[in-house]
Amino acid sequence: MRKRFLLSGLTLVAAATVVGWQVWSPVPPARPSPMSLVFEASDAYQFDPPAPGSYRLNRIKRAPDGRVLDIAGTEHSLHDLTRGKISLVSFVYLTCGDVNGCPLAMSVFFDVHDASGDLPGLNEDVQLLTISFDPARDTVEAIEAFAYPITSDEQAGDKLNWQVLTTSGPQELRPILDGYGQVVDRSEDQETISHLLRLFLVDRQGDIRNVYGLGFLDPRLLLTDIETLLMEEAGA
Amino acid sequence: MKRREFGALAAGALAMGLPFRAFADETCQSPYMPKITGQEEFVYVWTLGVEGMGDEQDKLVTIDLRPGSATRGQVINSVSVGGRNEAHHGGFSADRRFFWTGGLDTNRIFIFDVHSDPSNPKLHKTIDTFVKDSGGVVGPHTFFALPGSMMITGLSNDDDHGGRTALVEYNDDGEYVATYWMPTADDMQGAVAVGDAVADGYGYDIRALIRKNVMLTSSFTGWSNYMMDFGQMLQDAEAMKRFGNTIVQWDLHTRQPKKVFNVPGAPLEIRFPWGSNANYAFSTTALTSQLWLIYEDDAGEWQAKAVADIGNPADIPLPVDISIAADDQTLWINSFMDGKTRLFDISDPHKPFQIYEKVIDRQVNMVSQSWDGKRVYFSSSLLANWDKKGKDDAQYLKAYNWDGKELVEDFAVDFYELGLGRAHIMRFGSSALYSS
Repeated sequence: MRKRFLLSGLTLVAAATVVGWQVWSPVPPARPSPMSLVFEASDAYQFDPPAPGSYRLNRIKRAPDGRVLDIAGTEHSLHDLTRGKISLVSFVYLTCGDVNGCPLAMSVFFDVHDASGDLPGLNEDVQLLTISFDPARDTVEAIEAFAYPITSDEQAGDKLNWQVLTTSGPQELRPILDGYGQVVDRSEDQETISHLLRLFLVDRQGDIRNVYGLGFLDPRLLLTDIETLLMEEAGA
Repeated sequence: MKRREFGALAAGALAMGLPFRAFADETCQSPYMPKITGQEEFVYVWTLGVEGMGDEQDKLVTIDLRPGSATRGQVINSVSVGGRNEAHHGGFSADRRFFWTGGLDTNRIFIFDVHSDPSNPKLHKTIDTFVKDSGGVVGPHTFFALPGSMMITGLSNDDDHGGRTALVEYNDDGEYVATYWMPTADDMQGAVAVGDAVADGYGYDIRALIRKNVMLTSSFTGWSNYMMDFGQMLQDAEAMKRFGNTIVQWDLHTRQPKKVFNVPGAPLEIRFPWGSNANYAFSTTALTSQLWLIYEDDAGEWQAKAVADIGNPADIPLPVDISIAADDQTLWINSFMDGKTRLFDISDPHKPFQIYEKVIDRQVNMVSQSWDGKRVYFSSSLLANWDKKGKDDAQYLKAYNWDGKELVEDFAVDFYELGLGRAHIMRFGSSALYSS
């Protein structure tokens, strides 16, 4: 009888535990679909984004490998950083002042980064990479300082991982720029650097699936493309 | 770091894909590639070789336009590419460092480096596998740059050499990416035929309005017609049926066709305006000699309608190239058969009207204008087998000054006299575009 009572008691405790787990375990909030709903339309883009998964993203070319440095000065292979997650990659230099240049790229990344807080779980699949093409001035110390608002964000854990990277010099930088097709041009005074604003969408396998330039930097389109890739992976 | 708010962008900058569109291209140095708002320094002329003339090869000819230059108005360089390919059109890469050109007969694509020395382009790469890569597309015609890739329109196919064709996308390294076959009545691919439109599957030009995510393509004819002798074709009733009658609206981002408009008589060049609220495009029909407007209506739907005649359509002047002014107020329209250029006031795009005309020569095809509209350039060749014969076969580049009232000739380059060949598409170059 005691055994049966004990067994019943254990069963009751187990059942209560299960119920308790269901009550107390945080249920992940639903992610909006399409994900682009987290953004409002802007005057710059006067259209509705296509439905995610209603089109295919071509394999444009293989994203190149290269040696990069993170904000701690640790060297990584770019392929190691991009493999395994869908990556949005941008190229900037941190002393850029043209409003339609690097600050625009950064603004779009900040928008996507902030919005990712409302896209639970997306950070398991997607990340942001910003790579400097001015290693002389964008040293490890400089990118660490630049990245501070990102790394010190209290909600960083809920948002997309955003790595700010540099290189040790032109020799390491050149194959990355050439491989991506990121055109950079230094003027004779070496102070000003011209480049074409480009963002690259790289899939988990390391293929560039889309390239965005000025006029295409609608964050709704970026998220639609990301969602399309996720659906492709899921076999939808 | 503070995020910055951005208002409307000059997204229209990339809308048309014309060379001086690159001016407003993105930059961290304003501007990376400055628009040639001042003086264009060079003009590159993609030229067809002629049997028995000079080296008989297709070539990229460079003419000096620099004021005060000892060689202004003269050919200063020429790059021959081997053979006669039916050289036709070309387009710059989005970074404007390379000029992609096509041969409509051999389907070879020649990519020139125009940034290392803008006065002296060099052949950088040749693509010999266009037909095989694309799965049977023939006749690489328009080269429209997108970030990271080049969208090329076909004119024909290697199955029946008729007008059914596709768009073909390559990456900036010249590697094949994808083929998008034009919608046909049998396979609309989700597109809707508007009114009487019958999707013929034909292609010709491509232009986009990025702000609206709209891409438009037009329709011409296939290899069996464009390589046929013009006079012979005019007598061939069956051949004359094989011309395009459609403009297709596409979703630019997804590359999917959305609408097929009935635009009878072979609509050719398409041009979007520059204005940030200008939601329309023009095209002209070669056989029916009409100016067409493709526009967004009040309900946000795109429509197409004829808005003017060009000359007397019964004469079949054969409108060919067009050029829209930077201020969207005027449109040059050339007509091949009467050798005329006509200027239309398009300040109200729904009610355009002609305000000027001039005979350029016995035949005329291409027209390009400077950013300020004060200099207008014309060239002669349409197709090797369609150009006029004998003394009417004038082959040239002619430069004019336009003061708002009259075109006054500045200089002329006789391409036959110099043993070069048939002058076709023109595109401007400038060393100011590149810092290093």
